[in-house]
Formats: sequence, structure tokens, C-alpha cells
Amino acid sequence: MNNGTVNALTNEEKKVLLLLLSSETGAASPEALASGDMVAVAIHRASLGLASRGFITIEESVKTTLRITNEGEELRSVIPERAVAEAIRATGGTSAYLDELAIDKRLSGIALGWLKKRQWAEMEKEGGRMRVTLTEPAIEALGRPSPLQDALERIATEVVMLEEVDASIVSDLKSRKAIEMRTERTRTLVLTDAARAVDPASIIIREEVTQLTPDLVRNGRWKDVQFKRFDVSVPVKPLYPGKKQPYLAFLDSLKAQFVALGFQEMRGPLIETEFWNFDALFQPQNHPARDWTDTYRLISPKQGRLPDDGTVEAVKRSHESSWKYVWDPEKARNLMPRAHGTCLSARQLHAGVSLPGKYFSIARCFRPDVLDRTHLIEFNQIEGIICDESLTFRNLLGVLKQFAEEIAGARQVRFYPDYYPFTEPSVQMSAKHPDLGWVEFGGAGIFRSELTRPLGVEEPVIAWGLGVDRLAMFKLGIDDIRYLFSDDITWLRREVMM
Amino acid sequence: MPTLEISCKDLSRLLGRTVTVEELDDLILYAKGEIDGVEGDTVKVDQKDTNRPDLWSTEGIARQLRGILSLETGLPDITIEESDVEIFVDPALADVRPYCVNAVVKGLDIDEAFLSQIIQLQEKVALTYGRKRREVAVGIIDYDRIVPPIYYRATGPEENAFVPLSFSEALTPSEILSLHPKGQEYRHLVEGHDVYPLLVDSEGTVLTMPPIINSEHTGKVTTETKNVFVDVTGYDIETLKTALNVIVSAFAERGATIYSVTVHYPGRKERVPDLTPRTFSVSKAYVQKTLGMALDDRDLVALLAKMRYDAFVDGDDIVVSYAPYRDDIMHENDVLEDLAIAYGYNSMVPDVPDLSTTGRLLPLTSRLLIARELMVGLGYQEIVTFTLSSSEMLFERMGVARPDDVVEIENPVSASWSVLRPALLPSLMAFLSKNTHNDYPQTVFEVSEAARIDESQETGVESAYRLAFAACSATATFTEARQALDAFMANCGIAFEVRGIEHPSFLEGRVGAIVVDGIERGIIGEIHPRVLEAWGLEHPVAAVELALERLLE
Repeated sequence: MNNGTVNALTNEEKKVLLLLLSSETGAASPEALASGDMVAVAIHRASLGLASRGFITIEESVKTTLRITNEGEELRSVIPERAVAEAIRATGGTSAYLDELAIDKRLSGIALGWLKKRQWAEMEKEGGRMRVTLTEPAIEALGRPSPLQDALERIATEVVMLEEVDASIVSDLKSRKAIEMRTERTRTLVLTDAARAVDPASIIIREEVTQLTPDLVRNGRWKDVQFKRFDVSVPVKPLYPGKKQPYLAFLDSLKAQFVALGFQEMRGPLIETEFWNFDALFQPQNHPARDWTDTYRLISPKQGRLPDDGTVEAVKRSHESSWKYVWDPEKARNLMPRAHGTCLSARQLHAGVSLPGKYFSIARCFRPDVLDRTHLIEFNQIEGIICDESLTFRNLLGVLKQFAEEIAGARQVRFYPDYYPFTEPSVQMSAKHPDLGWVEFGGAGIFRSELTRPLGVEEPVIAWGLGVDRLAMFKLGIDDIRYLFSDDITWLRREVMM
Repeated sequence: MPTLEISCKDLSRLLGRTVTVEELDDLILYAKGEIDGVEGDTVKVDQKDTNRPDLWSTEGIARQLRGILSLETGLPDITIEESDVEIFVDPALADVRPYCVNAVVKGLDIDEAFLSQIIQLQEKVALTYGRKRREVAVGIIDYDRIVPPIYYRATGPEENAFVPLSFSEALTPSEILSLHPKGQEYRHLVEGHDVYPLLVDSEGTVLTMPPIINSEHTGKVTTETKNVFVDVTGYDIETLKTALNVIVSAFAERGATIYSVTVHYPGRKERVPDLTPRTFSVSKAYVQKTLGMALDDRDLVALLAKMRYDAFVDGDDIVVSYAPYRDDIMHENDVLEDLAIAYGYNSMVPDVPDLSTTGRLLPLTSRLLIARELMVGLGYQEIVTFTLSSSEMLFERMGVARPDDVVEIENPVSASWSVLRPALLPSLMAFLSKNTHNDYPQTVFEVSEAARIDESQETGVESAYRLAFAACSATATFTEARQALDAFMANCGIAFEVRGIEHPSFLEGRVGAIVVDGIERGIIGEIHPRVLEAWGLEHPVAAVELALERLLE
């Protein structure tokens, strides 16, 4: 143990070490070391530090002491059976009637039991009187001082350890409720051999500092002080950083991916006319999907405006010639929270697209569902279009496959025929996710020209939509879709962002 | 999207080849279906194409799959015999439900599987293709219980009482509309007219009251039925003919004989059903270009034959013939898709298009991203909540009167989701109220869209992004919110001032309007204890809401 090790100790530890070094035996209890300067708690803390660094060992022992009770105090002055026996001997003989002895009745009552138990006397009834005859052991015992009283005398006047008293006497006294036992744990701090060799003069007590302050740095006093050691393994109170919402963070990363793939972002209003939500997408006005139960309607406001007459007329003609019904512009003006993101693509086509052009959007959509662990009342749809004269159906399959590889990390994809009112041919894709297995990942198709022409586009338009909620749920480690819109701050705080 | 139940055994019998449920899983895709569930021999199939009613029965699926499996290709052979049965259509129905088309089918051998398909097909055709019986209603009548000719005629609401299906007493048409479950369900299709449609035979026996209910006496098909009379009513005669063709073609698949009938409309007559194939021309070059594949003439013809077309090459075009149970062929792409399906989507080589385009976020999105990152940097947890809310949450609990410009849903699933929120702060309060048992301080923010009525907008509604943030803790104060606001605005490069105002959601003297260029763009303050109480919060809340999109423009 060198000076370096010694002087790495805290001041409290050094003080305790010094006290032990100055004691005769190099051992003491914490209580014995306590003083006004160092309270017991500080000594306890210091002793743990000293022990962990090998300066001391802490020996623990258990000590049971005996204490006299109130009943014990009575017994200390009078032992009932001895009093009766002595009274009989005082009559000169070894036998007497109990009622002729000058003994308190309560005392003689207790005495009878013990006389019998200790086989000090035999009792007989003679004409209604109790005759007590002492036995040889009683007479012998009277010739010696009472060991019970001797023991009680010691217990009453000094600290007597359990093991210092004969076990039968302890048992006797306990059954007379004359004593109590008290158990105490005691610690003894014992210097190790290495510590005994430490020169007390080498222990320097310096000012100890908890907080390093600008002052200490500025005036150089940090060189003279000792910094209090911290237990760096102790847990601390949690700190919650500001964080992005995990689902939105996931959608942000998708946006970045689409931009990297050359897509421009589109936006549209939350509330749409049926014109953009359905009619412009070639969905006939009497189509079951436009039914009351499948879409929301508004109380207020009721209707919006249609686009330019030319577009409206072209959409009307397209519907009437293909679906054979009378198209109603009033129905097209009805407002609804948008049911899908495809209306954004229709708006983009109408606003004009570049050739080649790639567009995408992540749109909040609304459908009359009941909120539960697999359904949301609002959800995000990722949709987009690609326009170019050269596009083919195999291009569409290529784009979908690229999405599956880039976004889902899929190595394999499968395509299925599908149906959407606005695309032909239509296709649905499943992607083999490395952890989830086959996941229905997206739908797509070539926009029908009955849709694109009225909006002013002659070139082929590939339209696609991706279902990313399952991917998001997997990434976020949840099996309840409501967590995408979590209202649990603890979950948000715990969610790993990497 | 109709959902069917079919029996795998029944399908095998119709195919003339055993198919297992496992095989069907893949095969059914060629009939535009997807298996949704299996229970023993019964397979639940989602039929995705709402324009292909011919595929909505075991019979139709079998016809399609025989082509795919090359068991029988090209146009299906459905012959029609002529009968002298006549149907007379009453001009008085012109405004009610003007048209009916009919057929007689004989030689049926109906077992349970067949019976269930008859009922299912009739139901699905009327529901999906017939837009819930409005456009098409189908009645199938026991032909042996009626005596032609048949009259499709107008009846007064109180005349011609008959016993409707599953009833035991005769009811008048108006009683049927009010008492029979089907009457209650579909009465809106005839109500408002002085007369209702009725089909009766030469002896005055009622067959059916379209589009409501058949008669119990004649309109009940069972496994005992041998011959039937099919009745399809509605408004557009071409649609009705397609529906009739779908139904009789399904019967033909079971080996029954189809007989045509003569329908006398006011001023003209027609013989129906007519299954003469229709033709459609497709440019070969267009097909090659759109598929991105060089298929030769023989391949094209063979692939189309698998999809039950007859096809031949005529110069630069392929001419296809198809059975008129289809009316979905409106464009070359409709034929092209069938070609692609027959070729197999998974047999094609996907080809990522080589198009040079520049990807771009909307400028607004980029700015909102920076705004969100600033809030994160200020130590706020981002949350995302629903746009739909309720008046109770948005106004009552916030202690404010409901404004006039609220966007409200007419048919909400629940009152809790009946109003589009005009502001985000109530959503933040709702969030905090759900987290009273969690560690404080809680500081949260949201950047989302909110909506209010604005007649000047195309959709009558302004939907725009807003920012709201709230600090909730034992020591939350106005100053804390003001510090965050100052830091946020400074980093957005927006100069503003806070002007003291009164607002019932906030403590008096601790609330201000956030004013930018003389216009109020937001609010800051300490939430009033009355409002905290309404939300069940015990910790003070200091909050800010900003019309962020307007500020970032």
C-alpha cells in the first residue's frame, strides 16, 4: 500500500484509517470511533470504501445479552419455594402445615407449584389442611445460596452474555418470565496487515470538493483540493430528449427514398370534391364504392367548385360514353374527406406533368372504420405516378420490384392480377420481407386512358400505391396499429430511434 | 368487391378435373379472385373485379379456369333454343322501372351446391353489378307453376295482394313495402310512384314484385325445381341484357337448355337472351408496345383463347370475339390485361424504366421538417394525433364557444370522430390527459394539418399545417413557453410580437396573441385551471399554437 493509494481515499476514509491506526489493537467498532467530528453514518460510508480498497475487513458478530424483567426483580429478592422451605425449617422440623407458616398466601400459592416441580416437598391433605414435608434435596439446597438469585444478581448489575449463564438456569428464568434476551449485531472494523504498515504521517488530509467550479479552475485551487469520488455505477434519474414521432420519422425516411428515386412530392387538400376523389378517377357515380357507408359526407360545408368547364365536360363525356348513365355535376361537387391519395395524382395530371415525370405523395386519408388494433380511422397512403411515352407494363413491374427492394429490403416479389376502377391492366404485388415473410406490399396499374385523356394527358401513366403500415409496425416493433398514432408518452420516450 | 363461397368439389365436377384448395390458391388469380378463407370444402373467394359478374359463380370460375388449364379454350359454346313464350311490358311503368328481359331455362338438375350458387349469383349480380337492385333486380321463378304469356305491368299499391316469399298471408304491394323485411330494405326504389311494377302470368298469378320480392307460390327455387323463368328488371336495357346473359350462361354450364323469349316493349319487340359474340379490335403494335414484349401472332391468338376469346389477326390488328356476358371491354387495355394475365405476370421480366428525373420535396415539406427539428432541439417530444375530433374535445373542454366555420361529418362512425379540428392544441391537451400517470415534465409538440370552412377555397375548406406545443409540469409557466417560442421564431427568421389578449382557454393576464406583420398568427399562454380541470390535469400547462403554414409561405 503506497501513498498514492492512501491519498486516493476520501477525507472521511482517511480519518477513519487514522483512528484505527492510532488504536491499540487496530480494530474498533464504528460506534467506538464516532465523535462530534464524524457521525456514525459517515464512518459507516467510509468503512465501506476502506473495505472495498483492502484497508480493512469488516467483521460482523451477533451478541445476545440477558436483561432482567420486573418479574425478575421480584424473584431477585424472594424465591417463593425457597421462602416456604426456609419457613418450614424455621419451625425446627422438616414438615409443617402450610397455614401455620408466616407466608403471604399469594406467595405460598406460587411456591407449591415450584416445590412440586423441583421435587423439594411432598404435599398431603390432613383433615382439610395442607401438610408440606421437605425432601432431602430441598434441605441440601437450603444450605447453599440460590443459583437463580446469583444469576439474577449478575444480570441486574452487569452486561451478561447468554453463553455465560448455565442453560438450565436460563431456561428456568425464562419460564418464570424473569429475563429477556436481546440480540445485537455488532461490526468491528479490523485493519488488514497491509494497512497496519501504513505510516500515519503519510496520510494527508486535504480540502475535499464535490462540484468543480469555475472559481476552482480560474484560480488554480483545483490543484490543492481533493475531488470527492463518485460511485459511477449508481443509476441516475432518466432524461427524456426531444424526439421525432417514430411513425413520422419512418415516413420522413420514405420521403427521402422517393426523392432519391427521382420522385417529386405532390400535395392536395384534406377535404376533396367527389369530382377529384372519384369522378376524375373514372369511378362511376353509382359505383358501390361511392356508397354512403363506405365514404364520409359533410354537413358543412356541402359542396365545392369544379375545375374548368373543358375538364368537367371531358370527364362527363368519358363517364357517359363508357358507363352509360347521366353524369351529375351536382354529385361531383359534393365534399368529403379524401378517401385515398389517388386524387392527388389526378390533380397533378390536370395541373400538368413533365415528360418524363415521377410524382409521389404521402397523404392522410379517411374512411369510416372503427378504431381497433387492426384499423385506424385515419391512415397515410403512399401513392404516385410515372408518366412517359415509352412506359410499358413490364416497366410497371420493374418499378414495383424496385420499391420492394429499396423500401422493404425484399429479394423476391410476386405479382397478382387485381382490379382498380382507374387502372387497366392492374397488378398487386407481394414482397418477401427478410423478417416478415410474404407481405402484400402494393397495388398498381396503368391509368385508363378514359381517365388520363379528360385530364389532358395522352401518354401512358403508371399509377402505384404502397401499403407501408405493416412495415412501419414491424420497424416500430408493435402489433397494434393504434401505436402509429400513439398517445402513450412512455412508449414514445422508450421507442428506439435507430 | 363481391365475396363468394364456392365448393371445391363442385368446382372440380364442373371443370372435369380435380382441383385441390392449394391449387386453387394460385389458379383463382386467373379468374380475378383471391382466397379469403377455407372451411373444409368451402372456399371463400374475394372477387376483385366489380365489372366481371360472369366470374361471380362457381360456373363462371369453372368456365374461365377451363381456358387457363387448356381444357377448353376460345369462345364458350352456349346454344340458345327459341321458345314462343311472350312477355308484355306495360307503358305505365316507363317512369317507374321501364324494362324487363327474360329467359326460360329447362332441364335443371339442382343439387345443394347448384342451388346455393343460383341464390348467390342472383344476389351478387343485383347487389354489386345492379347497385343494390337499383340498376338490376333478378327474379328466378319456377316455370312449371306459371302459364305464359307473362305481363310486366303496373299495379296500384292496394291491388293484387299476393303471398310474398317466406310469408304465409297475402299482402298488398303497399303492405309488403311496410311489413316485409325486403320491402323495408328496398322500398326507396319504388316509393313516390303511383304504381309499382309487378310480373303476373296469363292467369293472374303473381310471379314477383320487382325489385322487392318474389311470390312464395312461384318464386321459390328448390332442389325439386326442373325449369325456371328468369326475370331481370331495371332502367338500362343493355345492362339488363348483360345481367341476363351472366345468369343464363351459368345455367348453361350446368347442362341446362336456354330458351329465348319475345319481350314486347311499347312500340317494339326483342328476342332475348341473345348470346351472339361481340367483336373488338386491338392494334398489335399497341399491344406489343404497352406490354413491352414482342409476342408473335400465334402466341397472341393462343393466349386470348385461354381467356375465352376467339381471335384472329387481321393485318395490323387482332380482332377478338367475346361472349356478351361481358360488358367491361371498353378499351384496348381491357383485352391487353387479359393477355397479360394469360401470359402470367410472374413470367414477365420486370424492367425498371430508365427515366432521368429530379426528385424534390415540396418547399413546404422541407420547411416543416426544419420546424420539427427545431422543436425536437428544444427538447419537445413530437406526437401525431387524428385530424378528426369532437365538439366536446375541441370546444367544450377548452371553454370556448363553437365557431361557425367548423367542418363537420354528416355520417360519423362515432361522435368522438365527427368534426375536423380547426386547431391542434385540444389534441395536445387530450394527449397530456392520457399521460397523467407518467413522468413529468412532459413537453410535446405536433405539426399537422387542421381545417376550417373558407368559401374562397375550391373545396370550401382551408386545410393548412399548424404547430402546437405544450409544456406540462409542476413548474410550467408562461415564461417557459415564451422562451421556446422566441427560440423557435428566431431560428425560423420570423419577427413577431406578443400582444396581451383575453381568451377563455387561458389564465387572465397570461395570454397573448402572436402577431406577425400586424396579423394574428397564433396564441401563447398558460392554460386556465378550469380547462385543466376539464381535462383531468393537475399540472399546469403553458402552450403555443401557430398557423405555421401561413408563416412559412
